[in-house]
Amino acid sequence: MASSYPTTAQFPGVQALTEPNIHVALTYAPLSSQSTLDLVKSPSAGAIVLFAGTTRATFLDRPITHLAYSAYVPLALRTLHSVARATKTAHSLIAIAITHRLGVVPIGEESVLIAVSSPHRKAAWLAGEECLEKVKERVEIWKEEWFEDGGVWRANRDGVAGVKVVDTQEKTSEEMVGERAVK
Amino acid sequence: MSIPKPPPDHCTILYFAAATSYTKKQYDHLPTPFHVSRLPDVLEERYPGIKSKVLVSCAITVNLDYVDLEEEADKDNDGLLVTAGDEVAVIPPL
Repeated sequence: MASSYPTTAQFPGVQALTEPNIHVALTYAPLSSQSTLDLVKSPSAGAIVLFAGTTRATFLDRPITHLAYSAYVPLALRTLHSVARATKTAHSLIAIAITHRLGVVPIGEESVLIAVSSPHRKAAWLAGEECLEKVKERVEIWKEEWFEDGGVWRANRDGVAGVKVVDTQEKTSEEMVGERAVK
Repeated sequence: MSIPKPPPDHCTILYFAAATSYTKKQYDHLPTPFHVSRLPDVLEERYPGIKSKVLVSCAITVNLDYVDLEEEADKDNDGLLVTAGDEVAVIPPL
């Protein structure tokens, strides 16, 4: 089934914004957890937390055929960087790295990786969770879920109703199920 | 694909997610200048229904900065002007 939005790569390789100990990137290629982990390693770290967000095969028990992410690339990078810097400051991290995959992401593969390092584990656990929530809430990346009967733009907040990809004028049964789920 | 540069005296407007679905396009080139607060009306002329069905839940950026359209409308003629070469974007809910 064709998407209404091109899911082919809009740039080759990786687009990244980096400064010492802050690394954010977008790519259409499969993600490497080891590479993301390596970006935050440090002799002064006592803990690294790595979060991997993976694509799920169902939404409220309905099978998803495939899933694609699109982004406003320059703005998404800028917002990712601002989230990374704020998280690093708030939790006195040693380093932070966030990589988000774009385009079609096969079911079961990673769509986002977040790695944080800190002297002690507590700060790393907290920072990892907070960072992911901010990424979902603020970064200009959209998820398109495709079911057997069409696609839905899914807001990143869990359970929020989606918008049908092909025709935004009428609600899909899927969308109404989503609305019930949040009530 | 990359977005072509706008012709002289035009800006680029980018659509994402639900906005792309509604316009069936990734971008338009619009004649400039115009006050950014007029953007919803400009788009409504091209895509009837877009204001109530899409734009009502969207944010707007100009050259990567978010713009408050209500605030801009209150400024009347002192509000932000979209000029040639600017990149405007419609940002659906995240």
